[in-house]
Amino acid sequence: MIKNFLKAVLLLLPLAAFGKTDSLWVQPAIRPVISAYTLELGSAHIAQTYLSPLRHGGFGGALSYERMQAMRFKPERWVMRLGGRLDVAKTHNLPAKNATLWNLGFCVDWGMMHRWNFPGTWQGRVQLMGGGYTAAEAGMYYLPRNSNNPVAARGAWTLGVMGAAVYNGTVHRMPFCLRYLAQMPLTGVFFAPEYGELYYEIYLGNHRNLVRGAWPGNFFRLNNLLTVDLRAGATIVRLGYRCGITSTKASHNVSRHIDHMFVFGLASEWVSLSAKRDNASADAKIISAMY
Amino acid sequence: MKRITNTLAIMALAVASLLGLGACHSLPEWNDDLYGNFDALWTIMDEHYCFFEEKGIDWEATGAKYRAQIKPDMTEKEFFGLCADMLDELRDGHTNLISWFDVSYYRKWWSDYPQNFDWRLIQQYYLDFDYSSGGGLNYKLLEPDSVGYVRYASFAAGFTEAFISDMLYSLKDCNGLVIDIRDNGGGALTNARDLAAHFVVERTLGGYISHKTGPGHNDFSEPYPYHIDPAAGVKWLKPVVVLTNRGTYSAANNFVAMVHEFDHVAVMGNNTGGGSGAPFSSEIPCGWAVRFSASPIYDAQKHLTENGVPPTEGFDLNMDPEAAAQGHDTILDTAIETLVAYVADFKSGNKITFKQYLARQQEAKAQKKPKP
Repeated sequence: MIKNFLKAVLLLLPLAAFGKTDSLWVQPAIRPVISAYTLELGSAHIAQTYLSPLRHGGFGGALSYERMQAMRFKPERWVMRLGGRLDVAKTHNLPAKNATLWNLGFCVDWGMMHRWNFPGTWQGRVQLMGGGYTAAEAGMYYLPRNSNNPVAARGAWTLGVMGAAVYNGTVHRMPFCLRYLAQMPLTGVFFAPEYGELYYEIYLGNHRNLVRGAWPGNFFRLNNLLTVDLRAGATIVRLGYRCGITSTKASHNVSRHIDHMFVFGLASEWVSLSAKRDNASADAKIISAMY
Repeated sequence: MKRITNTLAIMALAVASLLGLGACHSLPEWNDDLYGNFDALWTIMDEHYCFFEEKGIDWEATGAKYRAQIKPDMTEKEFFGLCADMLDELRDGHTNLISWFDVSYYRKWWSDYPQNFDWRLIQQYYLDFDYSSGGGLNYKLLEPDSVGYVRYASFAAGFTEAFISDMLYSLKDCNGLVIDIRDNGGGALTNARDLAAHFVVERTLGGYISHKTGPGHNDFSEPYPYHIDPAAGVKWLKPVVVLTNRGTYSAANNFVAMVHEFDHVAVMGNNTGGGSGAPFSSEIPCGWAVRFSASPIYDAQKHLTENGVPPTEGFDLNMDPEAAAQGHDTILDTAIETLVAYVADFKSGNKITFKQYLARQQEAKAQKKPKP
């Protein structure tokens, strides 16, 4: 597992290092920031065998923040994405629905993607992006009716790949941006107690085997986000759909979390001027991360 | 170029969909019918229960025996009774089946033994209904023997270190202490360790804890040693007698398993009830919850205390019912007499520990016994 982790780090490092060594940008560029605050509402489907062998289904919701910007180096080719998400879920055991399992989680991720434009395709409105990201998350599942195992905590730091397909178009003269974004961790580390290990034993000081190496075989996650940004003047309304699939297995305990969320929110595209105003020169080119 | 773009997009979506659908780990599947619920219950216990080997239980045979008794026209309550009977085969007070209409409970670990405790009697004849209370504990200095009496009815009741320190300080001039945890059915293991922390002056091995590492009956982790760190407040080093009966269970059993190792602590009364498997919970498709022993806890000698901790040699005592009718708890009386006698002996110059004193008393008793 450690080997997998090191391999992935080595593979992903060049992506991050690319820009640091490349200082070939010749024209001052204005790189607007696209930031979006969204509310997600939908359904959550959870199974956590440390707490219960049953599936649980119910309501899920989240507050999300996303920030995208073209990178300082090669801004036409590289974009960065920062995301943060606080998610909650209230689910019931199926089929009886007489016990409640709660979820509370927070994650933050940052990554870079290379972007490819296709000038000859669909009026040059299509962009494909691909790159890597790193994410940190913490959270817990809580089943109050359990005695000594009411909580299954979770935590992970991962490195993964992400890709996006973006289409900018207009409908009834209103510009819109349709985007599909997918993220999948490839390696990292995650927290998991052993099969029947009490958190009391961890509290007593037994920390053996709590941190596991992650790879898609034991820590599978696929986040799918489909959004459409409707741009009415300076106001951008974001609508969309998120499907998150997470399935982990450690010490024979399986944790599965699938959610389907409708996404609503507001986005904005704004420019941050530096003190030198060097990016505000008349010939500066505006390079958006998506639009 | 257009074809390439379209192809790439379709491929990306297809790969993402396939990964999402195919990469999830499998989960157990049971139907919500009589057999499905029975199999779920049996499997949960099979994979998580921790004392099959110690108790010599053939769980396969037990499951087969009770599964054969399922009848399609059984009522919900009849089915509950059948499942409860199967769980009773584990002879485990930590194992319960919990439905909306009933909770199964194995009681024979205490019901087959004398009670040996009457709280009303102690309040009336020893405490005169006048005692201090706090943090789930009641206490009083018993005169004229100058022995501190502490009653702790449940380890579920939390206390502060300041309270325990204050209580012990207020009893500092007495000959010794009686901690009465008869009928204490347990509670939080942290409370057991926190209370024991007032009876050590250095980091002391409290015992070992283990857990299942997989679904096999023998899949256990290496027992992990846990320690008792001395409390920051008052540490009690005068002699202590812990009173126990069969109702001393779970966290209370764990407390006894820890302190019975100490040189200044003796245990009097009965073998405790046991309950050394820290319980886990789970549930079956019909919504019933199940609780069961999952994580074995051992004493400092790595002895499993699921069947209880025996009293100090020579102090396996039962209450005399006739004396009780006259207002005497003969177990408590023995504890008080022993503490007073030890302190008198100690003050006379015989500087030995309480444990050594009790051992010598037993040797002397054995020598006095007439030879057959």
